[in-house]
Amino acid sequence: MSGEATALGREAAARRGRATATVGMAIFLGAAAMLFAALFFAYAVMRAQAPAWPPAGQAPLPRGALGANTLLLAAASLVLRAALAAARRGDGARARTRAGAALGLGAAFLAAQIVVWRALALGGAGPASGIYGSVFFAISGLHALHVFGGLLALAVIVVARGAPGVARTDRRLALAALYWDFVLAVWLLFFFGVCLR
Amino acid sequence: MPYGPPRDASLDGHLVDGAFAYLTFTTGICFAIVVVVMGIALLFHRRRAGRAAHYTHGDRRRDHVLTVGVAVAMFLGIDAVLAGRSLGHLETRFWSYPDADPAAVRVEVTAQQWAWTFRLAGPDGRFGTRDDVVTLNELHVPAGRPIYLKLHSKDVIHSLYLPAFRTKIDAVPGQTTRLWFQAREAGRYELGCAQHCGVSHYKMRGEMMATPEADWQRWLDRAVQDARLRYDATPETALGAWDWEQG
Amino acid sequence: METASDNPASGPSPAALFSRDHKIIAKQFLALGLAFLAVGGFMAMLIRWQMAHPAAPVPLVGRALFGASGGIISPAAYTSLFTMHGTIMIFFAVTPILIGAFGNFCIPLMIGARDMAFPTLNMLSVWTMAAATGTLTASFFVPLGAPQAGWTAYATLSTAVGTPGLGQTLWVVAIYLNGASSVMGAINYITTIIRERAPGMTWLRLPLTVWGFLMTSILNALFVPVLAAGMVLLFFDRVFGTQFFIAGSTIKGGGDPILYQHLFWLFGHPEVYILILPAWGIVSDLLAFFARKPAYGYRVTVGAFVAVTALSSLVYGHHMFTTGMSPLLGESFMVLTMIISVPAVLLFLNWLGTLWRGSIHLDTPMLYCLGLVFTFGVGGLTGLFLADIVADMYLHDTYFVVGHFHLIMAAAVLLAIFAGLTFWFPKMFGRMMSEPLGKLHFWLTIVSLNVVFGGQLVIGYAGMQRRLYDPSVYEFLRPLLPLNQLISRAAFVLGAAQLIFVGNFFWSLACGRRAPENPWQVGTLEWSIPSPPPHHNFEEIPVVNHGPHELGNPLVLARLGRDWLGQTEAAELAWPARTAPEGPVAGDGAETADIAGAPAAPEGTT
Repeated sequence: MSGEATALGREAAARRGRATATVGMAIFLGAAAMLFAALFFAYAVMRAQAPAWPPAGQAPLPRGALGANTLLLAAASLVLRAALAAARRGDGARARTRAGAALGLGAAFLAAQIVVWRALALGGAGPASGIYGSVFFAISGLHALHVFGGLLALAVIVVARGAPGVARTDRRLALAALYWDFVLAVWLLFFFGVCLR
Repeated sequence: MPYGPPRDASLDGHLVDGAFAYLTFTTGICFAIVVVVMGIALLFHRRRAGRAAHYTHGDRRRDHVLTVGVAVAMFLGIDAVLAGRSLGHLETRFWSYPDADPAAVRVEVTAQQWAWTFRLAGPDGRFGTRDDVVTLNELHVPAGRPIYLKLHSKDVIHSLYLPAFRTKIDAVPGQTTRLWFQAREAGRYELGCAQHCGVSHYKMRGEMMATPEADWQRWLDRAVQDARLRYDATPETALGAWDWEQG
Repeated sequence: METASDNPASGPSPAALFSRDHKIIAKQFLALGLAFLAVGGFMAMLIRWQMAHPAAPVPLVGRALFGASGGIISPAAYTSLFTMHGTIMIFFAVTPILIGAFGNFCIPLMIGARDMAFPTLNMLSVWTMAAATGTLTASFFVPLGAPQAGWTAYATLSTAVGTPGLGQTLWVVAIYLNGASSVMGAINYITTIIRERAPGMTWLRLPLTVWGFLMTSILNALFVPVLAAGMVLLFFDRVFGTQFFIAGSTIKGGGDPILYQHLFWLFGHPEVYILILPAWGIVSDLLAFFARKPAYGYRVTVGAFVAVTALSSLVYGHHMFTTGMSPLLGESFMVLTMIISVPAVLLFLNWLGTLWRGSIHLDTPMLYCLGLVFTFGVGGLTGLFLADIVADMYLHDTYFVVGHFHLIMAAAVLLAIFAGLTFWFPKMFGRMMSEPLGKLHFWLTIVSLNVVFGGQLVIGYAGMQRRLYDPSVYEFLRPLLPLNQLISRAAFVLGAAQLIFVGNFFWSLACGRRAPENPWQVGTLEWSIPSPPPHHNFEEIPVVNHGPHELGNPLVLARLGRDWLGQTEAAELAWPARTAPEGPVAGDGAETADIAGAPAAPEGTT
């Protein structure tokens, strides 16, 4: 078998593998979407049954901080897209740097989120303060867990090394970018659907 | 059958028993057909020397039309008939609550671990007043009049179950559910909880005394006198009454 | 012929614990599931003891288990028992065996793949399941005791209001982890079936077993997350003091306990189909294999699977008829539920069509399948009673419900498990199971099973509620004691009969007859490779030429002298270009005796 044929075969296998991984990721995101859909359904039920929304006497959410957080998460998603573009060009080093930047932005989002939670809890608007706090903390908490999972995946990509790394980083980055888009989409729904209303 | 439900004492329980009988009959026939066909196949279509299986995929148009046709016919013949019958009974009987019926006896039921509290409004017709008659695990009703219950729960979900009346309804914290029925004849009937509500769920039993109208009136008058005597002005909410119209 | 000893991958070794081979992972799920099946079954025995002899000390094990109460099952212990019995049986016994073990084992082999699409995820799935079982087991041994809110864990009872102990919190975590494992499996199964089918394995050439697993996995991927959401909210309520499900006179502006039921049953009703669809798939294939006929109406069966899958989430409200739901909603759920009977009838018709004019071989797997058709008949038809709101008002939360869903989940699904185990045992372990022991087990099981669950239907019709520690508290239930005792005795026979299966399993594992490549003489891909299969299953990825049930084809009979055709073979190519595998056909003469010399009676094929 000639070297050229092997390379072609390897490329075809890689393409096949990428498509398979994308199918798997799509199903996973479908499952995760059902999880959040159920949570938003719970929110809708809570809200529909409450006499007023936000309930009377509810401390307002720090919308500014949450807005800034939204920007952080969106930036992480964009930077990750840029990393993917670099990887597709074969620029492994830049891809890795950008993935690292996305990792930093995501971590900043989490840190800022913890600050928001702490402020709310100390201000008497914690999860146990009532139905509004319940909704806010449950959805943002579970979302943060998903962000954390995404950070772990990015860390693996940034730290992973090896010669055939480009093709592999490419595939992993593509999946990570898809996942981050999902995490961002859930957050946007939460921010505009829950925090701002 | 040696084992069966308690004797039906309610106005509409026969509709439930009728649905059950209809279902037993129709599904029994279906099941018998399945068993007979299976039995014939097992008796006569067993492996035997010199006989091969009949080769068919059953995937021709004719086969599809046959199976789908039978399935749809059975749905229309059994399920749809049942659904039509039941929807009618729900509309006209079970879910046709006696809101406008002045003869209906209204009862507020509060469930808690592990007891039932029944509250009758007394002569003034309003709940949460000093002539309310409150009983524990004992529901006194007149036979021959609609009994209209509204239910609350204080802690977890319970379910008021009246086997001799073929009915039950959940009592849910934070919500009001309702149920109506009518005793055909006087008697003492058991009631209980049907929804698992904790360790002593099995003890959450009560009784319903359906008495002739006059007896019930006598009982009510005495109970009202009693209630007036013993009334203390604790807030109504603590006593578990609520405004009937808003429940 | 290759045997177990030739195959390094199947031997027990420490490395096998962290194997990514789907066949080993299947065995891990099987071991875990069977162990918990035994635990859950033992709990059922204790429950039945209490129903037959309320507040009498449990013989043999009472002192050891309930020492504090003198060997008597206390109300608290009883509550924990029925809670854990349901939880274990559904989430930790049937799910790992049926979906984890059979799904893992069969899917790649039956579609001609070397492994799952994501072997590492597969390994992770089994380890998540192990973590879930660890968490669940831990919930027994914590302060304030094991979970007590029932397997459905209805709020508000399951919140800290009703069940304050750590045990219930661990239960919530265990169910979440269990769900995570199921979703991982589902992602793998769907992706594998979409992407890894062998060339020529078109959708309509898949064995029905694979169709069953595909539909199950779709439901798992979509609706287990809904349960997970319910568990997350319940966890928040219990641990962080949120109020999603807490309401009542003491709390103003609280949550909604019924919301939990919506989330639970939006998962819970599909869950019934999650468990029964693989059983339907297995029985649809096996009836064809042992009737030596193609599965009747393959495409209609597939359509019925798809229809049930599509409808499954739209009917869940029939579990909530007594919650005081709005009339319109209740009536819609009632009618939608009844529509499910259309695909169910189609399945029965196709099963009977498969049997009709077959050449029925009553091997043990077939007996289990026929038993399944019988018990699923009763179980499915009694479902109609509960779909009808009028009848449900009386039957809801009675033993009628218990009998109904046990006939499906415990009888039909369990019989499918036994059928699948005896059928694929040779492929899994390279040995045959004992037929006489299998038949003895079948007859004892099928008779006692129907007495137990049929008796529960009668008890429920007589009005006995579920989950009563002592029914004799109610006067109208006291006359039922003799029937309860009969049910319990049958249950003990049923329990004892399972020891025969356990014995058969281990005896066959150690000294069963060596299995040939294709002991059942059928054509699906797993039977075209050695028993047990080598590490990557197929030396060469097979090329598939037709559907899975090419049995009793007169052309094949005339050309090959046998009544089956492998999926890789084609009638016109099979002879003389490829000869039949030598061992099985020649070595098992009885299997072909009935067709030898039979006059070919061809009929139009499609």
